[in-house]
Amino acid sequence: MADDKKKKIIGIVCERSVDLKKHIKNNHLAEKDNVAVVEMICSGMIQPIMIEEGFKQGADGVFVMGCQIGDCHFREGNKWCQDRLLGLRPPNIKKTIDKNKIRGFWLAKCDYKKFLDKVNKFEEDLKNLPQPEAPKPAAANV
Amino acid sequence: MYQKTLEKLQELTIACEKLLNKIFSQQYNPFYYHGAVPNLFMWTLFITGLLLFAYFQPTLDSAYISVNYISSKIPFGNVIRGLHRYAADAMMIAVLIHAVRVYFTDRYRKYRWIAWYSGVALLLCMLVIGITGYILVWDERSYMIVLMMTDALKQIPLVGHGLAKIFINGHVITHYTMAMSFFFHVGISFLLLYLLWLHYLRISRPVTDVPLGLGLLLVSSIMLPAAVLPVASGKPAVLTQIPHEFPVDWFYLWVFPMFSSMPAMIVWTALFIAVAILLALPFLIVDEGKSPAAVSLDNCVGCTLCAKDCPYEAIYMVPRTDHPKFKQLAIVIDSRCAECGLCVGACAFKAIDLPQKHSKEIIAKIGDVLKEPAGAGV
Repeated sequence: MADDKKKKIIGIVCERSVDLKKHIKNNHLAEKDNVAVVEMICSGMIQPIMIEEGFKQGADGVFVMGCQIGDCHFREGNKWCQDRLLGLRPPNIKKTIDKNKIRGFWLAKCDYKKFLDKVNKFEEDLKNLPQPEAPKPAAANV
Repeated sequence: MYQKTLEKLQELTIACEKLLNKIFSQQYNPFYYHGAVPNLFMWTLFITGLLLFAYFQPTLDSAYISVNYISSKIPFGNVIRGLHRYAADAMMIAVLIHAVRVYFTDRYRKYRWIAWYSGVALLLCMLVIGITGYILVWDERSYMIVLMMTDALKQIPLVGHGLAKIFINGHVITHYTMAMSFFFHVGISFLLLYLLWLHYLRISRPVTDVPLGLGLLLVSSIMLPAAVLPVASGKPAVLTQIPHEFPVDWFYLWVFPMFSSMPAMIVWTALFIAVAILLALPFLIVDEGKSPAAVSLDNCVGCTLCAKDCPYEAIYMVPRTDHPKFKQLAIVIDSRCAECGLCVGACAFKAIDLPQKHSKEIIAKIGDVLKEPAGAGV
């Protein structure tokens, strides 16, 4: 089912990680208009309901982006967020959601190129997803 | 203008960080342990200091001899002494990197002002410990330090003579001068521990230890010079011969070249202004008003998740009696709240929220953004 239709992706993004201000137009990435972006104070504020809401509203994939692990402005936000994505820390994401459709990116402010690569990879993975065997367990990519 | 510069400096630190990530990998990047690295050196100093303490004799006659005895007769005494010296320098470097990084990344003000203030106090204590430590060796340099410091202290109006008297423990240099320096050196070291407690206050789970690999690397980085370039004393101090110059340790003794090149009062004023600027820094940038997290009485079930996740010890659980089922309630201490929203992320019951950036708004925005046709308005 790897069709040409662009996958709808939404990113819930920490405003202190990759600087997207110049790259956002109308809440979408200027270079990839299928990627919507919502900025937050810290990735640690992301509730599982927010990720679930993304899928509920028709996103094909949701990624979360925070600063590099170990370098959260608020000390532990990205660690908690990563643990939640991995299912190690409550509250958990609903089990009915395919974890292959969720990604966590942990990048510093100046890593815009890396960020684009990761988004492209994510999109590629999403296109290949419906095949019976998933490419890799979600946990490995978080 | 000031904030623009700060932003540029922040970019610089991030660039350094990226480079270090390539060298050390993210797990061992010393930048992510910039607070724990000085701690590691501090404990190195405490342990090596304890070993030196066993043989050191704090009198004018025997200080020099006992230090040399440690260096030459005690097995590995040389290395221990070297470690003590180089760890002190390494600690100063690490502390400065820590302070600069915290400043550049905007992590020193608002709810963090206690850490900044105690940090300034820690730095000043380190300088006193360093200077008095150099006196204990009692070579020519030590004698010069005592003479110059006494002179400089006497220049301070009103309290100067009193301070000088405390510093040399009397009117002239005697055995008690050495005892006093020893007391300052060791006593203020223990004061560091109290100040560190202040430094960690309001921080849940402070990172105080580096990973083993990084720790071994850092200790070996001072072990190597300690073994290869052993620390040696200068000529023994003779009270009747006033020396004229000495090798300067630029991390701790930088104040003495200043004393020799300008009037002491100017140096003291400059130091005073420098400390005042450091203390004023957290309040130079004025922020918009606070809007700390607020707990909803109806929704809080007392699960303690937000209290556990709060990185600044701003959330406490208190017993509640107004609810038939739930026995605990989360309370936010407004002055400690960093408005970071970590508690919002931890709450599964929509019971705690930031008034300015409500989670409902974000969820609504996620919906809106996705409903917009892709590429609209581009």
